Amino acid sequence: MDIHDILAQNRFTVTNTGLQLNENSGQPVDNPDVAAAAGGSLSLLALNRNRNRNRNRNRNRNRNRNRNRNRNRNSNGALDTVAGSGMQEPWKEREKLYALLDEWNDLPIPLPPSTEQLRSEAVELLVKQALRRMPNDAHRENEIIQEATIELSGYLRPLGIEDIGGFEATETLFYLILALTDEIGLRYKDRYNVLRPSQVEPRLRPLLPNPPHQSYPSNHSFQSFSIAFLFSRLLPEHPASSELFVSARRIAENREWAGLHYASDTNAGYQLARMLAPVLEKICETQMSAAQAEWI
Amino acid sequence: MIMQDSVETGREVYPQYNALWHLQTLGVLDAHHAPVNWRVEHKDKPTRVAIIDTSVAAKHPNLQAVINKELSLDFFSSRLGSFPLLPDGQSTIGSLPLNWNTNIADGLPHTVNLLAELIDRLSQGSEAHSKGVQPCTSPIFSSHGTNVAGLVGARPCMTTQLLPSGVIQDLALPYSGVDPMCEIVQISTNFDPEPEGLILAFLYAELICADVVLLPRNIADPYRVVPELADFKVADQNLLDLVCQIAPNQKQIDVWGELAQLIENVSQVRPVVCAAGNANEDNAIYPANLASDHNGIISVGAVNAKGYRSSYSSSRNITVMAPSNDAEAFDAAEVRLNNQSAHYNPVGVPTKNSNHKFSSFDVISTDVPGPAGYSGGPFTLPSVDGHMREYGSYFSMFGGTSAASALVAGFLSLGYSAGKIANCSGIEAKSWLLSNCYKRNCDQEEFVVPCWTDNPAFPDS
Repeated sequence: MDIHDILAQNRFTVTNTGLQLNENSGQPVDNPDVAAAAGGSLSLLALNRNRNRNRNRNRNRNRNRNRNRNRNRNSNGALDTVAGSGMQEPWKEREKLYALLDEWNDLPIPLPPSTEQLRSEAVELLVKQALRRMPNDAHRENEIIQEATIELSGYLRPLGIEDIGGFEATETLFYLILALTDEIGLRYKDRYNVLRPSQVEPRLRPLLPNPPHQSYPSNHSFQSFSIAFLFSRLLPEHPASSELFVSARRIAENREWAGLHYASDTNAGYQLARMLAPVLEKICETQMSAAQAEWI
Repeated sequence: MIMQDSVETGREVYPQYNALWHLQTLGVLDAHHAPVNWRVEHKDKPTRVAIIDTSVAAKHPNLQAVINKELSLDFFSSRLGSFPLLPDGQSTIGSLPLNWNTNIADGLPHTVNLLAELIDRLSQGSEAHSKGVQPCTSPIFSSHGTNVAGLVGARPCMTTQLLPSGVIQDLALPYSGVDPMCEIVQISTNFDPEPEGLILAFLYAELICADVVLLPRNIADPYRVVPELADFKVADQNLLDLVCQIAPNQKQIDVWGELAQLIENVSQVRPVVCAAGNANEDNAIYPANLASDHNGIISVGAVNAKGYRSSYSSSRNITVMAPSNDAEAFDAAEVRLNNQSAHYNPVGVPTKNSNHKFSSFDVISTDVPGPAGYSGGPFTLPSVDGHMREYGSYFSMFGGTSAASALVAGFLSLGYSAGKIANCSGIEAKSWLLSNCYKRNCDQEEFVVPCWTDNPAFPDS
């Protein structure tokens, strides 16, 4: 049958309950084969097609849930992204992660800069340290302290869902990404064993203590960009998808302003996040789908 | 107290409609789904549409013969692109028939360098996955690209269905894009607001000699999204710089400028169809807002099935309007509510309103099969041994100016495939489009809608 015959002899009709192929197949019938031919119902649609629908949806949610966004902060300031998040240890996803080890263990991020280059990058950090004391950039100190341990407000606020109920799967996805990327980043850090900026340039006085692991690549950068990359897969047309990248970059650069990371660490974290995205997309498929369902 | 009459409203009674109504409105198919002044013909070199969007579910039965698997390229995860749809086991690329001598980047120093890198990366025998980085193109998260591609070029097909009794029977999928003869090269990118990925995407569209380039999305260029911000001064600094969370960097600013110039350059050679935005953006979103008489950029707004401008679509700087869905509006500019909705509440609705303009019709397109995508399905595995189990999850309601722009790209493509246009510049293709439009006048608003023949028919009016 050629294309024109198929079109002339068959027809899809959009009914109140779904898509119907030809006239008779949508009727209630006893024969299950015929009923199956009636097709599923058309469910929801393009995300951005109806702004009011989303607006009302948010309006109707319980806004007053009082949640403690700092619950995942621990006392020593180290990255601890799972404990206290309300999320169980993601053992199934870790199992998938290890099964795919070959796909992520040797991603081609550039080799770290030489010591000479690091010293030159450290001068840039001295400039930032000086600017930090000037009124224009003084506000960064609060951000840096807020972001010392990765917590979700930096990602939820650009999405407009901070302190709004109904986005639990999105939050769970973010915690999962943070948990998985944390250990991946540590492996790369261990491989390259790059000294922290203040160990190369003693005149740097970091705003926070050096974390107990190496500098390259920056896990803050890697983890934040991983969230941005994966979220943009499930909701590409949402304006906040691009905003998440901006927030991720800000969070990553704040670590330079804190004197804890070189710009090259930030860049390597970005590249690692980008190249890892296809692997994380496989591992987090279920959680990404659940998060997507909260938005469309 | 006057009781509101809830019987007359909110009954959720909507008209049924033909899933291909938009093709009839465009004048491409008649009431019996017969093509109007064109017919499918086999072509050795089909019209090539480059879609710069998300990835696509290329195995969808209506798309599998449409998507060019040799050339589709993903820039999401890999800087210089990884080929996502090559046959399993093919680790290098063959000799690609590309426009190696393009001068599209002349005068754009960063872009020239990127072009050289891209050309080197695309040479015969190069890795299919650049530097071994996998493409990020799982069909599960390809809803937008799958819907857009279907509107452009889905092909009606016959397939098979596995019935609950175990019987396998033939199943027709009578769904068609505007141009069921075209081929689609899917160029997927990520949504990081940085210019390099999109420069590479447009360069690639140029290298593969696309007849039509479609960009059904915005580009979050911090300097061009709301350019007026630069005119506001706060304590001697311009607002645009003050609101940037990332310190402006001169190289980045230059590269953003080159991207804008590159899009214009590409549009001189081939039409570049852009969505105008779904939030009444003044002058349209970027880069649709670059459309002018001097380039081949086509800014596409949306018109609903009643023939009114969709409430979310802006009216300024729109080249053409094309069929799409509608949305409710309740603001000073317009009150357009869906009074069939169960949530409709007449309290506070002004007597003089535009509720009559609201249309419940969506545009239907191909969707990711199975539970993923905009429409879900009852089976985790939508097909068994290649036999479909249901067809509902294979299609979904779609809309916005993404849908409208896809229809216009398909319309231009059909112009090429049906021999109405050939060997023309982007501006000439745009002129052809404008000369095949119907001028519509609604409530003192005038706009044009592409129409293959006669006047467009709006089925919900």
